[in-house]
Amino acid sequence: MEQAIFYILAAVTVVATLFAIAEKHAVHAIVYLVTSFFALSVIFFLLGAPVVAVFEVIIYAGAIMVLFLFVIMMLDLGHPERARLPGRRDWWPALLLGAVTLAAALTLFAARAPAVAPAGKAIGVKEFALALFGKYGVAVEVISMQLLFALVGALYLGKRREK
Amino acid sequence: MIVPFEHVLILAGILFALGLVCILVWRMNLIMLLIGIEIMLNAAMLAFVGGAARWGMADGQVFSLLIMAMTSAEVSLALAMVVYLHRRKKTVAADEFSELKG
Amino acid sequence: MKLYLTLILLFPLLGGAVNALIGRKLPRRLSETLACASVWGAFVCGLLTFGAYRAPVTVELATWLADFDFAAPVTLYLDPLSLVMTLMITFVCGLIHVYAVGYMAGEGDQARFFALLNIFVFAMLVLVLAENLPLLYLGWEGVGFCSYALIGFWYTEKKNADAGRKAFITTRIGDTLFGIGIVWCFQLFRTESIAQINQMGGVVSAGVVTALGLLFLAGAMGKSAQVPLMVWLPDAMAGPTPVSAQIHAATMVTAGVYLLARMYPLFGASPAVMAAVAVTGAASAFFGASCALAQRDLKRILAYSTISQIGYMMLGVGCGAVTAATFHLLVHAFFKALLFLGAGCVIAALHHEQDIFRMGGVRKGLPLTFGAFLAGAACLAGLPPTGGFFSKDAILAAAWAKGGLLYGGLYGLGLVTAFITAVYTFRMLYLVFGGEGETTHRFPRVMEFMLPPLALLGLFGGLLNLPEYLSAGWLGRFFTTALRDGAVQLSPGGELALQGIAAAVSLAGLAAAHLRYGGARRQKRLEEAATTPRGMTAFLLNGWYADSLYRLLVIRPYEALAGFLWRRVDEGVIDDSLDRLADGLGTAGQGLGRWSCGRVSVYLLSFAAGLALILGWLAWGWGLD
Repeated sequence: MEQAIFYILAAVTVVATLFAIAEKHAVHAIVYLVTSFFALSVIFFLLGAPVVAVFEVIIYAGAIMVLFLFVIMMLDLGHPERARLPGRRDWWPALLLGAVTLAAALTLFAARAPAVAPAGKAIGVKEFALALFGKYGVAVEVISMQLLFALVGALYLGKRREK
Repeated sequence: MIVPFEHVLILAGILFALGLVCILVWRMNLIMLLIGIEIMLNAAMLAFVGGAARWGMADGQVFSLLIMAMTSAEVSLALAMVVYLHRRKKTVAADEFSELKG
Repeated sequence: MKLYLTLILLFPLLGGAVNALIGRKLPRRLSETLACASVWGAFVCGLLTFGAYRAPVTVELATWLADFDFAAPVTLYLDPLSLVMTLMITFVCGLIHVYAVGYMAGEGDQARFFALLNIFVFAMLVLVLAENLPLLYLGWEGVGFCSYALIGFWYTEKKNADAGRKAFITTRIGDTLFGIGIVWCFQLFRTESIAQINQMGGVVSAGVVTALGLLFLAGAMGKSAQVPLMVWLPDAMAGPTPVSAQIHAATMVTAGVYLLARMYPLFGASPAVMAAVAVTGAASAFFGASCALAQRDLKRILAYSTISQIGYMMLGVGCGAVTAATFHLLVHAFFKALLFLGAGCVIAALHHEQDIFRMGGVRKGLPLTFGAFLAGAACLAGLPPTGGFFSKDAILAAAWAKGGLLYGGLYGLGLVTAFITAVYTFRMLYLVFGGEGETTHRFPRVMEFMLPPLALLGLFGGLLNLPEYLSAGWLGRFFTTALRDGAVQLSPGGELALQGIAAAVSLAGLAAAHLRYGGARRQKRLEEAATTPRGMTAFLLNGWYADSLYRLLVIRPYEALAGFLWRRVDEGVIDDSLDRLADGLGTAGQGLGRWSCGRVSVYLLSFAAGLALILGWLAWGWGLD
């Protein structure tokens, strides 16, 4: 049952992402992407990472994508007929390189002897929290500093300068 | 572990390749380019979470959370820069900004 | 004693430092007073030292160079030789400083002039008082530098600056050899103290002492303008006249003689060194006198006569007569300073005219100068009973007493030179002061007032060291308290006979000069002088063409080598290869710079291609396994 759900969600993710890439309308692309991220968050949940799954929904699908939407609206980019769209000359090298990369990666996976998946023990929220704030406490601090710097940088960039 | 670890990795690989293609295709739109980066980062997070489940250790999940935090910082800065650049040249095409040419 | 010695050095140094640092801001009168007062202060301290002197003293003032067992502290050594030198230097330089105040009255930049003059005195005193060779070398180079800067004092004219450079470079040849000698001394004796080295002459083989002596002799040759390094001194007359008097007559050029006298206990044991010194001295004496015979420039005559007289001193040292050499050094300092200062007065009175064939009648315009100049000329010519007569005779007697073919020949050469000296001295006197002429230019009277003291000292300088048959010479007795004199003593009768010969020779020279230049014959010589010199006259006028010879032998090949190194090696090889390298790198950089197109999409595509390549290569490798 859970396996079937995983594969279905995997298919949803890939298809939604494909649509997002191929979509010429930026707002539509964002919506496709939100779909993809929702599916991905359920996959996370299935893989025993409920906290990450929740944050995926809240931060990625909720905050970051909305930020993208805001910027698109602010800059008035929601008119695909005005902008130049990728033509065949843009598509074929991208697809070629993507295909080569993917094929190489898949070859590498396949070359491994299929590991018998041992039943990894489930990770609880408590364990996760202990690892996050205990073992990686310093990393959390560093990330918080980075967020602060990003805030200051964004403020600086967003300031309207007198010409 | 509900599915073999390799399947998770294959899914992550496909997502990564799609993100790569997105970046390479959308050179005339910085926003789509950033979206491509988000897709690739998500693929990385998926690989981390899969690893955490495979070996039963919380570290992978911690790292995916850190990636998320890092991404939010990166996106906020990157979008601020997009706004700034759009204000300067009225365009978001990446190739228009080539002042650093050697 | 320590206080006095310190002050002797400190006064000129302070005067020089103050003038050098803030002299431009001071009023002119203050700057001049400071310069003179510092030298006279040193002289007073010298007198006090003389009064307190009992036995040789060594005073250590400070450490200077010290490394492992090498040590060269600032140590002063006072013995009769250095004491007498100190007194002479401070006295003569003091007079010259006062004279310079008058002479330089119309010139600007007096702070630089007096600062250099004071520092020169300081360096000379360091040289004289130094107890070890490195300190002596410090003073040695100090006087060399001050000499260079003062010769080229009016450096805006290329001729003067060139003369300064010539003096510096020529003496540098000797200085380098001297420096090698100093270092070798330490390597041999493990000490730099002069007193200790002098006692250790027997430690090393005679050949080494000879080589060392020749190195020191080379240093003395450069500084004292002896053959073959004499070419700089005549050109050094480009400097102001007080500088010529102070440096190129009274003090600096005697440094070489002083060095050899100081190191005499070490080299006295080597006959070869002594012979070399004596031959150098006699050759220089003859060379200088013969050149002076044909010169037309008043100061150049005096310059060549300086070479000649210092040659006598070297001859004295070479004969082992350190006392006689020092005696002549002192008397020469007095009368040569006198002659230069008198010449300065004459030149100043005649609108800076230096050609003796255009002078004349100066005796009426400047009677005081004439009297003083006459006294100086009598000393230079060695007319009895002036100081110059006694001192020169003492040297010749020492050469005679040494005997043998070599020293006998040198004695003969010395006599011939004495004759020539008398001739050129009175030629100069007749041409400058005889005949008719006008002295129109006014100059500060203070300049003339400096002449009488020097004239008296020159005339009665003989009293310092009277011959044995009159009374035992004071200088000789004073020196024997601490120095060893290697001169052979003559019997009173023999000495008297030699003095008779010397007197006759100099009087003969006077007579010859009178016959040729005296009275109405002067006019005839003036007419002759209007034509271009030929033959012997030209040869002597140009200083035996020594400059041309050196130009041919040394300067031309050196210039050719320098030109080759400059155009072919430096510009042709080094510069060119570097230029090509830079051009190549620039082109390569520009070529590579085209790769950076500044377009993000191209960079991203390159990234992706690289990633695909690496992954593909890895997959290929895995697939083969």
